[in-house]
Amino acid sequence: MGVPAFFRWLSRKYASIIVHCVEEKGKECNGVRIPVDTTKPNPNEVEFDNLYLDMNGIIHPCTHPEDKAAPKNEDEMMVAIFEYIDRLFNIVRPRRVLYMAIDGVAPRAKMNQQRSRRFRASKEGVELVDEKNRIREEILARGGYLPPEEIKERFDSNCITPGTEFMDNLAKCLRYYVADRVSNDPGWRNVTVFLSDASVPGEGEHKIMDYIRRQRAQPNHDPNTHHCLCGADADLIMLGLATHEPNFTIIREEFKPNKPRPCALCGQIGHEIKDCQGTAREKQGEHDEFADSMPVSEQEFIFIRLCVLREYLARELTMASLPFPFDFERSIDDWVFMCFFVGNDFLPHLPSLEIREGAIDRLVNIYKDVVHKTGGYLTENGFVNLERVELIMQAVGVAEDNIFKKRKEDDEGFKRRMKEKRKRMKIEQRGPAYMTTGQFAPQALGRRDRPEAVQNARHQAYDMRMQSREQHNKDAAQSLKASLKNGGNSSAGPSDSTDSKGLKRKADDSDSEPEPEDNVRLWEEGWKQRYYKTKFDVDVTDEDFRRKVVKSYVEGLCWVLRYYYQGCASWKWYFPFHYAPFASDFKDIKGMFTEFEKGTKPFKPLEQLMGVFPAASGNFLPPTWRSLMSSPDSSIIDFYPDDFAIDLNGKKYAWQGVALLPFVDERRLRAALADVYPDLTPEEVKRNSLGSDVLFLGKSHPLFDFIQELYRTESLEGTEIPAELCHGIQGTLNLDDDPILPDKPVTSPIPMLRDISQNSAIGVKFKDPHYADDFVFKAVLLSGAKMPNKVLKPGDWERGNREPWRPQLGFNPNRQQAHLDQSGFRALGHNMNRNQHGRGQYSNAPPPGNYQQGNYRQHSGGQQSYQHSRQNSLLGAPPPFQQPQFPRQQQHQYGSGGHGWDRAQQSQQSAYQQNVNRGRGGAGQGSYQQRFDNRRDDWHDRRDNRGQQHQGYSSGRGYPPPPPSRRYNWK
Amino acid sequence: MAGERSGEDIVSEYLGQNPQLAHWVESLRGYCETNKQWVARREFILRNMEAFPTVDPGVPSSSLDRLLSLSMVWANHVFLGCSYPQAVMDKIKEMGEGVVVEDAPVHRTTIGGLAKAKRSATAESDADSCAKRAKCGPNELDGRPAGRTAAWPGGQKSGPPPQAPAEHQPFFNRLYKAVAWKLVSAGGFGPNLDHFEILRSCVESCKETLACVFVPLKDIAGLPAGRTQKEGHVCEIRCQSVYMGTGYGRDEGAAKAMASKEALKVFQGRKVTVKICRRRFKGRDVEDLVLLDEQPRSQGFPPALSYPFQDEQLEDGSS
Repeated sequence: MGVPAFFRWLSRKYASIIVHCVEEKGKECNGVRIPVDTTKPNPNEVEFDNLYLDMNGIIHPCTHPEDKAAPKNEDEMMVAIFEYIDRLFNIVRPRRVLYMAIDGVAPRAKMNQQRSRRFRASKEGVELVDEKNRIREEILARGGYLPPEEIKERFDSNCITPGTEFMDNLAKCLRYYVADRVSNDPGWRNVTVFLSDASVPGEGEHKIMDYIRRQRAQPNHDPNTHHCLCGADADLIMLGLATHEPNFTIIREEFKPNKPRPCALCGQIGHEIKDCQGTAREKQGEHDEFADSMPVSEQEFIFIRLCVLREYLARELTMASLPFPFDFERSIDDWVFMCFFVGNDFLPHLPSLEIREGAIDRLVNIYKDVVHKTGGYLTENGFVNLERVELIMQAVGVAEDNIFKKRKEDDEGFKRRMKEKRKRMKIEQRGPAYMTTGQFAPQALGRRDRPEAVQNARHQAYDMRMQSREQHNKDAAQSLKASLKNGGNSSAGPSDSTDSKGLKRKADDSDSEPEPEDNVRLWEEGWKQRYYKTKFDVDVTDEDFRRKVVKSYVEGLCWVLRYYYQGCASWKWYFPFHYAPFASDFKDIKGMFTEFEKGTKPFKPLEQLMGVFPAASGNFLPPTWRSLMSSPDSSIIDFYPDDFAIDLNGKKYAWQGVALLPFVDERRLRAALADVYPDLTPEEVKRNSLGSDVLFLGKSHPLFDFIQELYRTESLEGTEIPAELCHGIQGTLNLDDDPILPDKPVTSPIPMLRDISQNSAIGVKFKDPHYADDFVFKAVLLSGAKMPNKVLKPGDWERGNREPWRPQLGFNPNRQQAHLDQSGFRALGHNMNRNQHGRGQYSNAPPPGNYQQGNYRQHSGGQQSYQHSRQNSLLGAPPPFQQPQFPRQQQHQYGSGGHGWDRAQQSQQSAYQQNVNRGRGGAGQGSYQQRFDNRRDDWHDRRDNRGQQHQGYSSGRGYPPPPPSRRYNWK
Repeated sequence: MAGERSGEDIVSEYLGQNPQLAHWVESLRGYCETNKQWVARREFILRNMEAFPTVDPGVPSSSLDRLLSLSMVWANHVFLGCSYPQAVMDKIKEMGEGVVVEDAPVHRTTIGGLAKAKRSATAESDADSCAKRAKCGPNELDGRPAGRTAAWPGGQKSGPPPQAPAEHQPFFNRLYKAVAWKLVSAGGFGPNLDHFEILRSCVESCKETLACVFVPLKDIAGLPAGRTQKEGHVCEIRCQSVYMGTGYGRDEGAAKAMASKEALKVFQGRKVTVKICRRRFKGRDVEDLVLLDEQPRSQGFPPALSYPFQDEQLEDGSS
């Protein structure tokens, strides 16, 4: 479930499940990066066997990152993905298996959500552009300053959907990547790599679950395999619990809520687009030296230890004196099931259960009350006992009325508090009147930079008196300055007065943002009637319709649980309404569900594209297919509205609301596509076909010779993996049509990366072990599984022990605490202090953070160009073109203007650089763009450029004299 | 088409006579469709069957799928608030002519923007312009008639020129006809119509626009003492600066609906006449252009909320 609230709630309530990752960073020596040796023991003091990557969680941030500049082209995206995987591999260091799963065609139940996301993305994109243009005009008219619009093609994130060319490319690139690492990286040498690309149906995480489930059910499985699953979705936690594997850890990026995002218009942080004033940019640091650095550090990773969560749950769920024997594993399954009520990707959540309001705690309490009456557990192996579920639902239903009333109260209390807080903040911003400033400003004790002696006290006192007056002038001055920058194209005269007026009004307005009207008013008598009337447009007396909704929801609950425990029960089923019923409506649900339709098939990739894309993304489809999305004569035109309503449904933001999109009629979709199927090119036919998982391994792997033998004998039918050769992993191998074979060079699909001439990897098609259709995967601990050591403080610790409890912070209970000795502190103090003085930030000591490592993600900037030029000269590459030394420019090395092509080349060059760093030779030839001089530009233009956000300039102290050769002059 | 009382009755009668057709058409119903949605869409399908001669009940065909698709477009537009490319919208507007949906839900497609309210099946797609116009404040309203008054001999004391009623009469004769036909096709004047929508579409079909002025009730001075209620809004509707009606409601929308209803009542007579009458405005008696039916008025008009015939001098003096 994509609910961030769930993870937040979980990590707050069960704090010890989180362990911060220790990441060993690659060192750099003379500009050459030394790769980390991942064969060494894991610095997290734990060894993982299998690492599973839910690739879509990696692809999205790498292709359209939120907190850094977007990659320029597809090649850079691929490199970013490779680096991300490298990073994860370095942290987790799996010893047996790396499983990469990209989302393939999803079950119909999920497609409705995907559809809604893609339509929204498209709609939001359009609305954002409109708003941007409107506000830009407004600001420019008022004399504000904005950086010129960047010319870049927007990456349509909708292409991250199975069946597109992009996904096809990605699969090719990943094959290359795996072959490269298996051949060249010692840490990968003995790892079995599985790649399940977008041509294999199923969501990524569920393909992974299927793999684990099917391995577990065969006798050779090692019950003490330590799994590590990477992905940010909260439902991975559910999935992990559902496996009943004792050693299961999830790794994800650290959750940082409310990270400030730069304004989409002027690129400054601190306001949203609608509040943009177009004022001049503030300097970052004394000399603007932080201009191009990201204020936040690189995302860190955290582990979520499910074995610790199991400990917590054991405490919470264990019940004494039950009418039946207590089985902890079964109660976990029930807990997972109840979490689905609160939110999942396939069903809208019940209106009365809101995770922020402690819905899960409420459910657990109800569960423990009711379980005495139910006479057993709610679920078994993923099958639901509806009679017992009804009892839970009825108990929730009783409380519904009060929940809604309380929600309203809380909401109003929250609004009141926020209003007061804003008021307080406003006052605090000014500081109290008695606060002295300037030389008399209060100084923190114990800092290195002691205040200097007071000079000219009288003048200072005068300044302080005048300060409040100046504050007013400042606002006006700022806008005046900005309008000067804009050049002569604005009438500077009246601008400042209107500006300040505008400012004032805005500030007042922000206190009372308009609230969307809520017609349902769940807190008032008659809420059920109003809910059904407004949401479903039926009268509450329409019992039949209400039963229909409840029946669908019940089916949904059964489907979702089955999906988690047994795999996809029906590719066809979906919840055909936009809203959920009330808990109190779940009456007589026992007979509502029997079995799903058997033998349903997933969509083909291109069919799914037709099902989830808005007409605006039609460019990913063949022309005749595309025209079905827009032509008035199309027989499926109703699937593709170009605008649609979003019902906020009591929420504040559009993305939380319900998109009122029509559902796709599968029969009509297939009928319409039958006519255009002949129009597919062979290439498209290939993209539209179902693919297979692929297994890769290197020369030193025990299974290697076996597979090579398969290729030699050209065996046509599937062959089982001998269990003893591969840690008990089972499955069927089939020869690949276009295999990666040892000693057959692998050509690189990315121009900036080298071909692999010395390939030692082998690839073969892999199929999970097969089971009969009616086989039930048991949700139990396997025999022979050893439970990991307890982490939580035992409840009776105080009584039994003398010594105080030492909480465990990492994986290892006996972790050595790191410490610094005296000299360490001295060294630290020395470096820190230098940095504090603000001059020469980057001069000699490497900066403490992650910026400016010369890795390709960075923005361009003067500083970087320095690093590159030095590296290049060391490596014998031609020195960069040199800027003529204007007297004034000696202090400031200007980066070239923020023009697209220039930056594109620059980053490409740094990607070359990486290649060099990996020691593969072949240094790039292009470093000329770093500092060429636009002599044609007159001085004014350059001055304009200075303030732009993407370049910044850094103080030139400490730069070596520039290489003298090859001056380049524009004639 | 005109003269149909209730589409639903006719359809069920028709289906009662053709049980086979009824059986077939029932198989086209979507699982999640409510009765109301299905009845409306069924009527849409049946009404348009003739236009798709290749549709053979009981036989799946691509032309049937096209009809079904358009019926879904129409239903999605009316019930979900979806909009489609213009060519498609034009088509379903034409096809949906005559299918009446009472009390259709209201949706908004733009968060934070103007409410794109609407959803009367007979009304056309240009919903947001209606919302915009409904929202236009007194400023814009004054601006519009001002352009018109400029043509009149200025400098005299405020009030409409004596020839104004004669000038406006032809337009309102045309409007009278438009309203009469519209009401017939909507099943006659009654409490369950979307009065504003009817009035607006008629006025627009005569190439004019409605002007609504809203005033919160509490801002109106000198209300009868018996009126204890201080909440709510009052709306006044004018067209070509001729007063048509005033309404009160809990919110602006309701006030507007009441005002439209009052205005439509005037059209129930045998003809409408534009006259100059005396009304109260800001505590003064002024001369106003008013639309009347031929029945004698028992009581006076409600006080005016806006007054488009006043020249600057007077306004300055009075404020």
